Amino acid sequence: MTATARRGRRALSWLRGATIGVVMLFFALPMVWMFAAAFKTNVQVTDPGVGLWFSPTLENFRSILHDGQVITSMGNSLLVGVVSTALSALLAVPAAWAVGRFRMHRTGSLILVARIVPAISLLVPWYYLFARLGLVGSYTVLVLSQMFVSVPLIMWIMISFFAGLPIELEEAARTDGLSAFGAFWRITLPLAAPGTATACLLAFVFSWNNFMFALVFADDRTQTVPVTLFNFISYASTDWGGLMAAATLITVPVVVAAILGQKYLVAGLTSGASKG
Amino acid sequence: MTSTPVPLMNRRSVGRMALGAAAGGLLSACGSPQGPPSADTPLRIMAINHVWSQAIRRRMPEFEDRIGRRVSMSLLTADQLTSSYNVKLNASGTDVDVMMIRALQDQMLFARNRWLTDLTGRVRGDRTFDWQDFQKAPRTTSVTQGRIVSVPVVTERPVLYYRKDLAESVGGPPRTLESLMEASLRLTDRGGKRYGYVGRGQRNGAVSQWSSFLFSYGGDFSAAGRSAIATPKAVAAYRYYGDLLHKAGPPGATNMSLEQALPIFAQGKAAFFIDADAVYTSILDPKVSVVRDTVGFAPFPAGPAGARPYNIPSWSLAINKFSRLQDDAWAFIRWAAGPRMSAELQAAGIPGARSSAWRDSRTQGAFPSDLADAMRVNAERGIGHDRPQVLQVGRARDIVGRPLVAGILGEAVEPVARDADAEFSDFLVRDNRHQES
Amino acid sequence: MPSTRTTVERRHTGTAAATGRGPAQPARSVEATGRRLKWAMLAPALLFVALMIVFPLAFTINLSLTDAFGAVNAGHPYVGLRNFADLLSDSRRFWPAVQRTVVFTIGAVVLETVLGLALAMLLRHPFRGMRWIRTMLLIPLLTTPVAIGILWLLILDPTNGIANHLLSEAGLPRMEFLGSVGQSLPTLMLIDVWQWTPMMTLLLLAGLTTLPTEPEEAALVDGAGPWQRFRHVILPMLAPALSAALVLRAVDALKTFDILYATKGPGGGSDFEAETLNVYAYGLTFDYQEYGLAAALVALFTLVIVATVVLLRRGAGKKDA
Repeated sequence: MTATARRGRRALSWLRGATIGVVMLFFALPMVWMFAAAFKTNVQVTDPGVGLWFSPTLENFRSILHDGQVITSMGNSLLVGVVSTALSALLAVPAAWAVGRFRMHRTGSLILVARIVPAISLLVPWYYLFARLGLVGSYTVLVLSQMFVSVPLIMWIMISFFAGLPIELEEAARTDGLSAFGAFWRITLPLAAPGTATACLLAFVFSWNNFMFALVFADDRTQTVPVTLFNFISYASTDWGGLMAAATLITVPVVVAAILGQKYLVAGLTSGASKG
Repeated sequence: MTSTPVPLMNRRSVGRMALGAAAGGLLSACGSPQGPPSADTPLRIMAINHVWSQAIRRRMPEFEDRIGRRVSMSLLTADQLTSSYNVKLNASGTDVDVMMIRALQDQMLFARNRWLTDLTGRVRGDRTFDWQDFQKAPRTTSVTQGRIVSVPVVTERPVLYYRKDLAESVGGPPRTLESLMEASLRLTDRGGKRYGYVGRGQRNGAVSQWSSFLFSYGGDFSAAGRSAIATPKAVAAYRYYGDLLHKAGPPGATNMSLEQALPIFAQGKAAFFIDADAVYTSILDPKVSVVRDTVGFAPFPAGPAGARPYNIPSWSLAINKFSRLQDDAWAFIRWAAGPRMSAELQAAGIPGARSSAWRDSRTQGAFPSDLADAMRVNAERGIGHDRPQVLQVGRARDIVGRPLVAGILGEAVEPVARDADAEFSDFLVRDNRHQES
Repeated sequence: MPSTRTTVERRHTGTAAATGRGPAQPARSVEATGRRLKWAMLAPALLFVALMIVFPLAFTINLSLTDAFGAVNAGHPYVGLRNFADLLSDSRRFWPAVQRTVVFTIGAVVLETVLGLALAMLLRHPFRGMRWIRTMLLIPLLTTPVAIGILWLLILDPTNGIANHLLSEAGLPRMEFLGSVGQSLPTLMLIDVWQWTPMMTLLLLAGLTTLPTEPEEAALVDGAGPWQRFRHVILPMLAPALSAALVLRAVDALKTFDILYATKGPGGGSDFEAETLNVYAYGLTFDYQEYGLAAALVALFTLVIVATVVLLRRGAGKKDA
């Protein structure tokens, strides 16, 4: 390799780094502003002159932790998010495999209808049914309603992954004596691990952020985070600092959990392959 | 006493709505867990996230001891309350007992839907509750079709918040709308980023604040059941409010509800601000406001027809008709809106609807003296509504607010007002038909 | 849940002949087991979704044929297709909302796809700090829409916001952003791009990592440049994942609600400048209590999107063939 080529490559990689940096700045700056606001009083939040150099206050966090509702809600959100995502994956991943492998694209598109229907048209009928079943206010109803969002989501993402995987691998496994299901479980699923992890992560994110279902179906003990955040918006005033502190408090641990979860999920799914 | 039976009609009609056997099968599979509520069923209260609700929640253990039942109280924003009521009551839900409602926004419709328990007997039959003690305007608002369906707990009037330091140079707080305009224009300094006036400018949200301007110009939303928003008086009021925000207000005023307008005044960037008196706590809070030492409070300024501010019951308590805890729900209202609690909360700076609380010597010191004076004067001059009195209030506000937006954007008001007037006329005809059906 | 479970087992062990097109498998016996397995894998998910949706769907369609107003739990006379006719002839709210929905969706999704793809390509090969970058990408996704709406309102406030403060410090003219009728929709599109490009990137990144590396290496040996490799090798292989991500995002963008409502309030602002179909449907339901009309709007909306998706998929299918 010539020196010019090497220099060109180095310049290219530098350019790549710089571009990533600039784009990331666009995504990060608003969040920096949010984190900063979490340490400000309300007067400082609405004063653009304050910027990023100010004497931080922990008052916002103190009042949140004192109240305790945010922590309870995080627990609820976590429970609903994890359970609904796990159950959804259990239903959706095999289904997506069937659609992708057997090219049932019409069925695949049909599942998307569930995602298209706006939530407002679901609320009253669901409430009617769940109220008759005595489920309103329970975790069950929150998980079930969230699964209605997550199942189509995971399925939709996974269909393209399974469709993209070469069929030959499964066929080879079949000739090696594995059952059709065994081929799916031991060969295909591990190969689709990155997709499964991403799909589950996104399903969790949608659950974490779902406001409408939680507002209508939860009660004071099962309340989730998006509803709790509104505690900071009261009739005659908005507690900007408290709201931003709460938003920070709920974002950071989840980012960490999501990253670890994703890592282990990928590792877990991939290890199935080596064992097989 | 009046525990409501399962609404058969609703089950039947919703059942009929479920097209086909699939849904029908589902429904019959679902047993209904009705029957008498058990001792650990909580009394569920849905309320606006307001200082009143927060104060009540702090005192709740006292009430729980009294009825021997857990109380679950959710505090939500006004939008969320509306959505929740809509979903739950449309499905004849029993999981809300006491409903905090905006009598002027929701009550007519909810009563028409038969969602609210008739409280007439309980209210009138209770000597210690003393219904006559409530101020006349809120008491009138509590009645729909001859029945008392809500009990007012929080009242509101507009107040002129002004900066004492700035107002000095223009001869103190303006007493007329004319001098408010003059002073606002004089104190506007766009280069120095200070505005003469700030207020709500969003189509829907601004209507209630604009109502005082409309009344003070001698107008109203409707007269004898007909639209009155294109009358010369109404057009003049539209034009005035539009000019005030367009010429003396901050940029982007048409996206301003209270959440945007208040911080501008609280940051010391505006000389005058008219909004509900309930907001004063924020302006006096050092964590929110830098003007707490320079702010003054004045009555709503007089227009060509005098000073005619609104004086309304902003929040009231009602009972869900489908609730299975009617007696406990009423016990809550008796406790929370009774003479003792009303006086206690008013003394804590939350203006209520009881004359006795307003007269109580303990409550005199609860507010800054100029605010207390302004509130008293406004209450005397007040008009009992701040938005069109129709079933579809949200829709009416959207129509009535359009000329307001045109004015704030600096466009000609009159053609928009005429257009809105035609739309409002059609609307009123249809709304009346619904009211009678 | 229990009903789903029993159905799975019945499907699994039962001998009922499954209908549907035959799978593309060679041997006959394999075909039979494949068909049975296919339905056993598919049935639980389909059944769950069907169970959850059948009542709401019937409810909505039925409601759309009545003039339900005020409350749905009182009888309402049927009015045939009048609600649909009313909507289609409404040039004040409905058609402008259709236009805004289309503009918003196309604008935001195109930007998100291009940006997301570019970002995924940049992040494809592991490098130092990769973890940090991925973390940062997740944050906008994990922040509750309410907080995002309020955060942007604070940043973009014409008077008290940091954005205008920075603009004027830099000697640039101040903007009204969400405060202006004209600038609102473009601003909201940018916020949407900020919020959802990370999802695009994550989906495409996952797609890229599952691609086989041989074709690209072969192209490299053949002396293809970076652009050629991207255009002729990677893009075709990525097409299924790309189209799936695009459709998913487009469907979600069509029904964007939280951010619009949080920043512009009911009706999409003072001049309805950000009122999309979903915002309008929400307003008809919760502000106006026009349940019949709202149901018709939702039905129409759903129908149009389903048709678009089916057409898109058919077009894509033809191209594949």
